[in-house]
Amino acid sequence: MKLQGVQQTKWWGVVVFIVAILIFPMIVTQSFFITQATFAGIYAIIAIGLGLLMGYAGQISLGQAAFYGVGAYTTSILTATWGWSPWLSLPIALLVPALLAFFMGYTMSRLSGYYLAMATLALGIIVHGLLVEGKGITMGASGFYGIPQLTLFGMTINQGVPYYFLVWFFVLLVLILSLNIVHSRVGRALRSIHDSEIASSSMGVNTGRYKMQVFILSAVFAGLAGWLFAHMSYSISPSAFTFDASILFLAMVVLGGSGSVWGALIGALLIRMIGITVHTLGEQFTFITSDSEHVIYGLILILVVIFMPRGLFPTVVDWLKNTTIKRVEKKASVAVTPIKRSVSE
Amino acid sequence: MQDLLQFTLTGITIGSIYAIVALGFVTIYSVTKVINLAQGEFVMLGGLTMFSLVSVGVPYWLSFIATILFVTLIGWLMEFLLIRRAKGADAISLIILTIGTSIFIRGISSMVWGKDQHTVAPFTENTPVTIGGASITPQSIWVVLIMLLVVGLMYMFIDKTMLGKAFQASSVNPMAARLMGISPKRMSSFSFVLSAALGAIAGLAIAPIIFPAYDMGAMLGIKGFSAAILGGLGSAPGAVIGGLLIGLFESMGAGYVSSGMKDIITFSIFLLILIIRPNGILGEKTIGKGGL
Repeated sequence: MKLQGVQQTKWWGVVVFIVAILIFPMIVTQSFFITQATFAGIYAIIAIGLGLLMGYAGQISLGQAAFYGVGAYTTSILTATWGWSPWLSLPIALLVPALLAFFMGYTMSRLSGYYLAMATLALGIIVHGLLVEGKGITMGASGFYGIPQLTLFGMTINQGVPYYFLVWFFVLLVLILSLNIVHSRVGRALRSIHDSEIASSSMGVNTGRYKMQVFILSAVFAGLAGWLFAHMSYSISPSAFTFDASILFLAMVVLGGSGSVWGALIGALLIRMIGITVHTLGEQFTFITSDSEHVIYGLILILVVIFMPRGLFPTVVDWLKNTTIKRVEKKASVAVTPIKRSVSE
Repeated sequence: MQDLLQFTLTGITIGSIYAIVALGFVTIYSVTKVINLAQGEFVMLGGLTMFSLVSVGVPYWLSFIATILFVTLIGWLMEFLLIRRAKGADAISLIILTIGTSIFIRGISSMVWGKDQHTVAPFTENTPVTIGGASITPQSIWVVLIMLLVVGLMYMFIDKTMLGKAFQASSVNPMAARLMGISPKRMSSFSFVLSAALGAIAGLAIAPIIFPAYDMGAMLGIKGFSAAILGGLGSAPGAVIGGLLIGLFESMGAGYVSSGMKDIITFSIFLLILIIRPNGILGEKTIGKGGL
């Protein structure tokens, strides 16, 4: 018998995902869209991490761009200034954000709620400020340039289709890792923390340790995204790692549905698609400017919270499930109590 | 010594604005438990509405009243159209809702007022006054006076009027307040109106000093939020203390180190204080409300 509440990872979803990744560059060949899809993958990695933090540990981070920026700058400095191989700098680009998250989580362990949210916001502002001000190391506001490209088996991974595949390969790894975490003991512990920290703590769940672990994991994901972002382009600048970026990541998670790994991924794709749509429309109609993009983002956030508080993905999945259950009921014409439980994949 | 005095005066001026913004956060939080990250946009709207009115030749006194009324209307609409519809959403979603609102207002404002900074003439003749070697502009004195007036009026209102008592009651114990016939909806709506009015006042007072632009709300909102957190969320005296402290850190940081470093210094000190006093300086009894 299948245990109630214990969910297996549904692998067919992953298979569909892999097929979609492989097919996309065959259908869409314009380099603009390939680049945008690559960016979407980078954002998806951050969003999945943030989604785990928000949906499972119930914590909000208003400074996720800090870890993203630290990852990007760590690898840039190691490779461009110190001449390391990008592959060698990858573990360091993951380690430094992790250490920052550990230090942050450790000193802030007495904080909770809005105090913690504000602390992460402060961290984001401090890191962005240091990137701008640390001119000797980061080259300041004008940006860091001269970042080497990635090579694999002596071949350069160029921007375009090759880089697209590299990024989405990492998205796949992050996705599988996250799905496994969610459906493990750790995942259940995290969900219990989200529902009631006091209850789970009294059931013997070490809430502090789990929260710290997921915070560090989200920082590592952001660091990975930063590494991918840095080596995709020749130069990076602090303007990519502002408070606005942190808000954008938050928007992705909320739109897709926090408490859902797939939701975060879909949220990242949707936010990117909205940006592209507004941009493309803006080229045709002069009255649509980048301001409209902000107005639309704002409006979407508002509408999603009001009409789909759990986010797009869980709402749609629940709706589909309910309609199938009803159909099955009709067929069997036996009274079956529909099991309503939150979707957590 | 002269420098110290100068930086202190600058710090108190900007700190007064943060204090008013922080009071706006506290007003909404204490009744609805919502953190309104669109608070900074009220300030921006205050400053830019003031600019529009003054530039078409409306007298100052009338501009003050019209600006406050206009921003108050926006605050009321925000509560009525958005916050009220999302009742039952969890704390994270509510924060996102206010962030969405703030992005939306900012986008609309950049369409209306453009991306330039605007100039508003000072309220009165603006020849700097020298006090003990440090100079201060009359407009700065206006800002501090307005802050004191706002704090005084808030105190009078909360402590001496029936509506204020009702307001206090629904923040201390919403259930009991409801049983006494105080409508929680009306109080929630009222908190947004009051808070928008506070934002408008901060905006029109600071307009001649900082050249308002569509994007000034974000940073003011963040600083106001830090001030409210620093003082102890939910405490009005804490908000004023927090605001003044943030203003002082900032002006000292800019003066003694560099203006580029001021935010880094301000938020580093902010984090240090939070490590020592996790509930803020004056402390909040019920920390972590909202299940974050």
